[in-house]
Amino acid sequence: MFKYALQRIVYMFFVFMIITVMCFVLIRMLPLPQLPPEDVHSLQIQMRREQLGYNKPYLVQFWYFIRNIFTKWDWGLSETLYPGREVWSVFVEKLPATMIVNLYSILWTIPVGIALGIWAALKKNTWIDYTISTLTMVVISVPSFVYAFLIQYILCYKLQWFPFLMKGGTDYFSWAMFKSIVPPILALSFGVIAGFCRTTRAELTEVLTSEFMLLARTKGLTKTQATVRHALRNCFVVIVPGIFGEFIGILGGSLIIERIFSIPGVGGLTLNAINGPDYNIFMLSTCFYTAIGLAAGLVVDISYGFIDPRIRMGSKK
Amino acid sequence: MKKLIALLLCLVMVLSLAACGGNGDTNQPGGDQPGTGDQPGTGDQPGTGDQPSTGDQPSTGDQPSTGDQPSTPEVPEDTGRYVYKTSMSSMPANWNPHTYQDADNAVPLDYITDSLYTMVFNDELHPKEGFEPFEGYVIIPAMAAEMPVDVTESVKAEHPEFGIPDSATSSYAWSVKLRDDLKFDDGTPITAQTFVDSFMRLLNPEAANYRAADYYEGSYAIANAKEYALSGQPTLTSFAAMGTTYDEYIAGGGDASKVAVDMANFWAVTGPDGIHGFGYITDDTMVRDPAVAEGEDEAYVSAKYLWDNYLGPNGAYAGTGYDTAYAGIIEVPYEAGYDYSNVGLYVSGDNELTFVFRNAMEGFFLTTYAMSTQYLVNPALYDSCLTTTETPGGVAYSSTFCTSVDTSYSYGPYKVSDFQTDKQMHFVKNDNWYGWNYDGYNYVHPEDGETYHMYQTTEIDIQNVSEAATSKQMFFAGQLMTYGLQADDYDQYLNSSYTYRTPAETVYFFLFNGYERAIENREAAEDFDQTTTDIEMQLVESFRRAVAVSIDRNLMAQTVSPARSGGFALLGNLYIYDPDNILYYRDTDQAKQVLVDFYSMDLADYNNDLDAAVAAITGYDPETAKVLFDQAFQEGLEKGYITDNDNDGISDQTVTMSYAMSGEVSDFFEKTFEFLNTSVNKAAEGTGFEGKFQIVPSAPRGSTGWADYVRNGQDDTQMAGWSGSVVDPFGITESSWTNSASAYWGRWFDASADMMTINIEGKDITMSMRQWAQCLNGTMVTVDGVDYNFGYLQTDTENRLTILAAIEKELLLQYLFFPVMENGGVSMLSQQVYYVVEEYNAMMGRGGIAYMRYNFNEDEWAEYVASQGGVLNYA
Repeated sequence: MFKYALQRIVYMFFVFMIITVMCFVLIRMLPLPQLPPEDVHSLQIQMRREQLGYNKPYLVQFWYFIRNIFTKWDWGLSETLYPGREVWSVFVEKLPATMIVNLYSILWTIPVGIALGIWAALKKNTWIDYTISTLTMVVISVPSFVYAFLIQYILCYKLQWFPFLMKGGTDYFSWAMFKSIVPPILALSFGVIAGFCRTTRAELTEVLTSEFMLLARTKGLTKTQATVRHALRNCFVVIVPGIFGEFIGILGGSLIIERIFSIPGVGGLTLNAINGPDYNIFMLSTCFYTAIGLAAGLVVDISYGFIDPRIRMGSKK
Repeated sequence: MKKLIALLLCLVMVLSLAACGGNGDTNQPGGDQPGTGDQPGTGDQPGTGDQPSTGDQPSTGDQPSTGDQPSTPEVPEDTGRYVYKTSMSSMPANWNPHTYQDADNAVPLDYITDSLYTMVFNDELHPKEGFEPFEGYVIIPAMAAEMPVDVTESVKAEHPEFGIPDSATSSYAWSVKLRDDLKFDDGTPITAQTFVDSFMRLLNPEAANYRAADYYEGSYAIANAKEYALSGQPTLTSFAAMGTTYDEYIAGGGDASKVAVDMANFWAVTGPDGIHGFGYITDDTMVRDPAVAEGEDEAYVSAKYLWDNYLGPNGAYAGTGYDTAYAGIIEVPYEAGYDYSNVGLYVSGDNELTFVFRNAMEGFFLTTYAMSTQYLVNPALYDSCLTTTETPGGVAYSSTFCTSVDTSYSYGPYKVSDFQTDKQMHFVKNDNWYGWNYDGYNYVHPEDGETYHMYQTTEIDIQNVSEAATSKQMFFAGQLMTYGLQADDYDQYLNSSYTYRTPAETVYFFLFNGYERAIENREAAEDFDQTTTDIEMQLVESFRRAVAVSIDRNLMAQTVSPARSGGFALLGNLYIYDPDNILYYRDTDQAKQVLVDFYSMDLADYNNDLDAAVAAITGYDPETAKVLFDQAFQEGLEKGYITDNDNDGISDQTVTMSYAMSGEVSDFFEKTFEFLNTSVNKAAEGTGFEGKFQIVPSAPRGSTGWADYVRNGQDDTQMAGWSGSVVDPFGITESSWTNSASAYWGRWFDASADMMTINIEGKDITMSMRQWAQCLNGTMVTVDGVDYNFGYLQTDTENRLTILAAIEKELLLQYLFFPVMENGGVSMLSQQVYYVVEEYNAMMGRGGIAYMRYNFNEDEWAEYVASQGGVLNYA
């Protein structure tokens, strides 16, 4: 397993570098915004672009980029979105707001989603199952921004239970902050609950009808014992990657939810960096998410072995 | 227990009654008409545009300037907390006055900066002859201690390096005495030297500051600022600007290796280095032309190609004027190391500044535009924020100045107290601002006659709100001061007493595609069905004219966008040609005559009354439209643009114009297309184009990309417009109308080749439309050996108006477009506040935050909103 993990890490590094180089070149291949004809400021922009070396060969530019990261952990300065600021500090400043909202969201949505899925599977073909399954389909079909607007209108405007926007400041664990992020948490939650509910129900329903479950019952286990010890463990081979995915998604952020509730997070940062264009912001966010994605893939793969001992990563037998 | 409950209930009732009584006697919002939403559009922003800059004056006695001001009564002190609560959909990220590039980043500067002179409404304390109170404005010293003094003669004699013309005796050099009590928010004194130090930092050639160009280029340029800011930079000087041609240049011993093509302006592509817009004529590096599809002819061009095929001696455009306009010499005109002592801003005495301008300057433009000092920074703080970074291009300057509370500064009424990236910004009063004790900022309220000090607002809070629905809810919950009405709101709130209309300067015109080569390419494409569709009819003038007279402008505005009004000419009703006396261009006889001529009005029908004739114009003339459609039908058949194979007298093809969409098709555009298609087809009934006209939306082209699609002829139309400075209607003729690089029709209408004869003071003068526009804006143009310059202060204003009107009329009669709507906005203002001025003033707006007054302070407002159930009624 250790050798396998080490091998994967080496591969990861190569994949990371390939993606980084590709992104570095591709973003620079996009044409820079055309200078307004005869605008008196055009010359100043030209001078600035020349100073920044945008007309130099990509290889030269990449060398400066990679050298500064490895020698000084310097990801460069933002040029268009946050002019003059270090992109790393901007990113680090904005990441917590995204993380806190997503973290609160998944902390309650995953258990609730799985629990509803288990309940529906155990009550298969009853009104409970039908109700949960129908609601699940309805909830999954509606985009999260629709909930966001509805929640904002009903809970914030009509009932006045919560503020319209996320509270400013960095006191992320204060009561006032928590209260202000309840609406976006709710808006993000419905889809996640429905997703886990549907997956869990489908997997568990299948496992519960397996022959080994019949064997478990016939050897004397109660229904609860058989379900918890055998059925659920089998289901989790499918569910756990989803949970990992959600935790990775904590770092991602939702563009539309962050817009609606004024969450100063990283949702949309990459998109804005492309539109800017802001090369350094784009490269930082791309590298960050590439690294996280690659690491998450490795963790998920390794986790299979712990959940189901029959799966042995890297084993030749 | 029952007794306790009864006691509590009694207590609640008493408190409730007391609360009700309090509300009753104070500022019940209903009766007191609140101010105005003096911002167009979204309502997400405060009315910063119409807010007088933050200029102010010192305390009292030593206030020089306005001399004839009556003495000011004592102003009662108000210790309440008044927070102006607003929102932005995109928050400022860097409000460095040297580098900001967009309006969002400029918003904080409205609150934290000041100016040497400022505009205030005329009232009893600031009287203006010939104007009723609050109908005009007065310019008063702010950071300056007195009005500027003309020192042209002495500066010309003592400082030949500034290049003041020998013939000039006034208006080029001005000295300004500064107040002695100017300070930054941290208490650092501001002196004349601080201004000079700041200006030097702005122009620093190594920093390449974006805003430097504001001060070295254009009408208000400081003498030799350009030489300093661009020292060591290569620039292209066209042969036309040099007054020569390529052949003459070479014959005169010129160096052919320096000759280059202005690729950006001639062909709308970047130069071979991807940075500059020009390339040497020997450079065959190919660059992509985004206007041409991949694989098509000229999808890639080089400077050498453009020279050999178009601009060179054997090119297609040799001798047309294009060859001298778009080719020239690359030089480094300003050598590196130019000394700042040659720049026309210097300390000339005890806390005294002297400005030397490249052009003559006086009156309104001198004090408000030319003497803008927004470059002022706190040098110590500024320098501490500067960093240099090693880049592939060498060394780049970067600065964190004005990106946080710690790196922000202020010399205006407010200072930044809180900032969170992409989230919020908060301002509090800058106690070190002299203006809080300056009598110049007192005014007499037009309603109650009391004297107040401006800037009752004590704090400003800006929140990031991106969605209009959220803004609306927050406004109705009393959490925002303004809300820009959306189309869905018009039915309910358009006539609300809290709703204010704000006119805007832009006139939207409907474009036609005249780019013949692009039209031919599109029709030749495989997927274009020429048997059913046509776009070539746009090349027929009678067709364009027919469409132009098919639209009732006012009806269109009412139908598709009630916030706007009908548009009838290129310049709207807000443009002021004489800001000192607030005289509007559209009120002049020259401008009215343009409308009468363009819409073919017969003055005899209106007793030769210009005003009556102008008032009768609707732009809608169905009878003429039918005649023109019939004429166009015949011309279209003759040219082969359309066919009538079934001989039913109706075109086989539907004229289909592609509307360049910036984004998705909204409700506004659906209404617009519906109105235009219906109107034109109705006017075409009984002609060869009956039911054969349609406008269809393109795929989204992006917020800026759509303009390129129109200019390149890839799409046919847009309702486009320009907004220039409302106090300079002349400038837009040069910058946009006749500028082939920026005009939408630049690829198919050459203003340099359109000759116009205008009678000026009894003399007929003939030159191209472009030349008229240039000399109207201060460029010396030589025709038949005679120099002409009709720029600001160079000729009588009547002559300038005559030229402006002639250019407007000439362009309108080309039917490259036709005006349809004049811009405007509708917004609501919170019951918490009002502006003292109801009527919109083109110069002052409604006074902005300076003249905003509060019906409730923060505590009272919270109580009031709660008493209304948390949701306010604005219907």
